Amino acid sequence: MFERVGKDLVWRFRIGPITVALNPATLGTALGISLLLVLLALWLRRAIPKDPEAPPPRRLVLLIFLVDFVENQVLGGTSEKLRRSLFPLIATLFLFVWTCNISSILPIPGMVAPTQDLNVTLGLALLVYSLTHVYGMRTKGVFRHLKGYLEPIPVMLPMNLIGDMGRTISHGFRLFGNILGGAIMGAVTIPVLTDLLVRFLGPILATLALPVLGTAASFILNGFFGIFAGTIQALVFTLLAAAYIQVAAE
Amino acid sequence: MGPEFVQAFKYLAAGLCMGLGAWGPAVGEGFIGGKAIESMARQPEMANTLLRNMIIADAIAETTGIYSLLVAIMILFVV
Repeated sequence: MFERVGKDLVWRFRIGPITVALNPATLGTALGISLLLVLLALWLRRAIPKDPEAPPPRRLVLLIFLVDFVENQVLGGTSEKLRRSLFPLIATLFLFVWTCNISSILPIPGMVAPTQDLNVTLGLALLVYSLTHVYGMRTKGVFRHLKGYLEPIPVMLPMNLIGDMGRTISHGFRLFGNILGGAIMGAVTIPVLTDLLVRFLGPILATLALPVLGTAASFILNGFFGIFAGTIQALVFTLLAAAYIQVAAE
Repeated sequence: MGPEFVQAFKYLAAGLCMGLGAWGPAVGEGFIGGKAIESMARQPEMANTLLRNMIIADAIAETTGIYSLLVAIMILFVV
């Protein structure tokens, strides 16, 4: 029952001395989701009225809700100036991670949520980590930003560096572990349920009860692990990204 | 000690790892959630800020649970 988990189809090829591994399912889903989001953005942009005083059309309601949510809820603790420059990054990160997380509920064979691949989540975490340095150097200057690693005393330099490393790794692993845990729960429940029903009800009653209980179980599993946990984890990922950048920049 | 013992102890180790590793984060998150709701009841106008800080604190308390999940997955599938 577990043979497929973690050992998905991977393409390997060599460029000179390095072996490169590519997971086409993850890559395809991530690129498909990016394309979908770009098309959605272009479609929504056409609906924005020229006159700012005009009432917004109906299809923009969700967009207005999202902008308001990111501005006031996710970036609520930052200063006005930082909020303006962080808003596009954080909104894009939230939309991408959220769509990736809830894409696991679609019953398309071969499609996996890109965020249950460690390479995707650790890549996003490293992106956020490099951006903390960019924002820190931009607002405080290169020297003052680097001097922050020698505080409170210069002996603390290794501790600060290890702290940075642990923060970035746990940032990536948190999203990966939550989504992978949900996926494993989804993959395990139906076989275990079948086994239990056959054992306790006998094969004839089990074939009658399995469609009802299996549908209910996958409904609950997809609702909880797919939609609820996916939304919460996307929110957590973006909140932490905003908090890390804010700490470095202010 | 044959390979079936190794297999049996792998399942035992993964179960123990997840069970003990989920205990700490559960207590911590419950504490954070309870305190946050207490503060929200006292000052409802602060609810948005408290919710944001509660989610960040929950995420950090959860980290050790995620580590134990990864160790359990590694024991089951990789080692």
